[in-house]
Amino acid sequence: MLEREVRILFGKEWRQLLRSRGAMVTALLLPVLLLVVVPGLQMLGMKAGLTRPVNLPPGLVLPRGFREMAEDPVAMMRAMLVPFIALGGLIVPSVTASYILITERESRTLELLVALPVRVGQILLAKLLALLALASLVTLALFTIDAGLILFLRVGSPGFVLALLALLLTSLTFSTTTALLVSLLARDFRTANNVNGLLIGPTILVCFTVVLAVPGPTVTALLLAALFSLGSVVATFVALKVVTFERLLR
Amino acid sequence: MPAPQPEDARLAENAHAPLEISEVTKVYPGGIQALDHVSFRIAPGERACLLGPNGAGKTTLIRLLTGALRPSSGRVRLFGLGVEDPDFLQAKRRVGIVPQSPGMYRDLTVDDYLQLVRDLYGSGNIPEVVEAFGLGSFRTRRMAELSGGMQRRLSMAAALVSSPEVLLLDEPTVGLDPVATREVHTFLRKVMPGRTVLLCTHNLAEAEALCESAVILRQGRVLLHERIATLRQRIQPVLVLRAAEGPERLVEALTAQGHAPSREEDAVRVHVKDAVAQAPELLRWLLATGLEVYECRVVTPSLEDLFLDVVGTDDARA
Repeated sequence: MLEREVRILFGKEWRQLLRSRGAMVTALLLPVLLLVVVPGLQMLGMKAGLTRPVNLPPGLVLPRGFREMAEDPVAMMRAMLVPFIALGGLIVPSVTASYILITERESRTLELLVALPVRVGQILLAKLLALLALASLVTLALFTIDAGLILFLRVGSPGFVLALLALLLTSLTFSTTTALLVSLLARDFRTANNVNGLLIGPTILVCFTVVLAVPGPTVTALLLAALFSLGSVVATFVALKVVTFERLLR
Repeated sequence: MPAPQPEDARLAENAHAPLEISEVTKVYPGGIQALDHVSFRIAPGERACLLGPNGAGKTTLIRLLTGALRPSSGRVRLFGLGVEDPDFLQAKRRVGIVPQSPGMYRDLTVDDYLQLVRDLYGSGNIPEVVEAFGLGSFRTRRMAELSGGMQRRLSMAAALVSSPEVLLLDEPTVGLDPVATREVHTFLRKVMPGRTVLLCTHNLAEAEALCESAVILRQGRVLLHERIATLRQRIQPVLVLRAAEGPERLVEALTAQGHAPSREEDAVRVHVKDAVAQAPELLRWLLATGLEVYECRVVTPSLEDLFLDVVGTDDARA
């Protein structure tokens, strides 16, 4: 059960997020593209018979993860769903964390909060929960559409959908913890966005490398989920041990 | 051991000083030492000002008292409870804090913020503080859209929503124009009596007008914590004299009498041990020498004089 102070502060964070058009539009636009528009159009296109087998030169040796895809267009679609879902989970928290932490730091409103009868940890926890709540709500709602299409169009099995769900949740957690860490370290909004971009770039690269190297999209999704979990633990450890709240007040 | 009776509990509660700093040292990451073994306690009902040159550690001290920062060593207690104590928030609910020129939310209204404050304190009368601080017509206004003076009123209103026993005021008038500063002083004069107050300020006239005791910090150390009236006794009162013949003649006469006068434009200042006893005698003697003294007044040392005397002119400029 959450402490009273955390619930009250969560209400404040949530109200502010909903009132911020900029934060909401940014938080919704990219996930809608990555989680619904692109994969949805691909799946619907396949259903309409618009996909064709991949035409490869004879004798071409493909990476292990691509061998199945060359023979089956649906397998290609399954494989590409993995990085798209991971990206969807990575985008929302980084944008929202910058908004709820950096904006508060830049506008010196943290001084108002620490003057109230709350603990510093409760302020951070309320922000973290607001961040997770918005990111989960947006991405899970959009993922439900994907899951429905995957199962209805028989793109993948229920096990594949569950693996994608695990991937989405762990990428969300990874992105939330790293975004919080970046927001604690960065002095301003611009720096936070730049550092977030620097972090997301290599992460996407890792996602595509795993897709290429590992055969079977379910295994790929589960392996990436494990990597994101490990990354979350490392980011949380660094945030708690290395970075202190005092940085925000200086 | 039996649980204390309510009366015993009340007495036990009152046994602790509202604000207590014991041997506190604060070193920021990077090795910057802000406070060095600072100790003092503010007694119930005491109205103290926290003075010191820039970089003396005043804001660090206020942030330690709010629990925003942790001391590197030593203890900071509100009503006997430290920030690590599970009941610390109970103590913090008895303290109203006005931060130093805080930012204002762009997406929260005055009403939203006061409601948040009341919810966190668990009690309070919003209409009362809105009325007292003249915020009635601004309740639906976004906080960041308020003028500087109104923002400061809002900060004070928020600190007083729950009628706390203690007020921590961190530079409440810094950056305000003279009209807004006077408004803030008027509000503070209304709300300070009967409360324990720690006022952190650079404005020595403000400290003198609102407080009865002073804590002076320099380079992270407490130089003194005394009543301002007691401090005044440290410095001899000054007689300011003016004569028709000019300051040179006055200086000559006073030096011949064994005093050590100093010139200040067309006036002459001379320190005396007891103004009431010495001034009439000195005036009679000067008139008897033929000097036409047309002004003789006693100046009690201001808090600024006391501050400069304690801190030293060079450090005060720091």
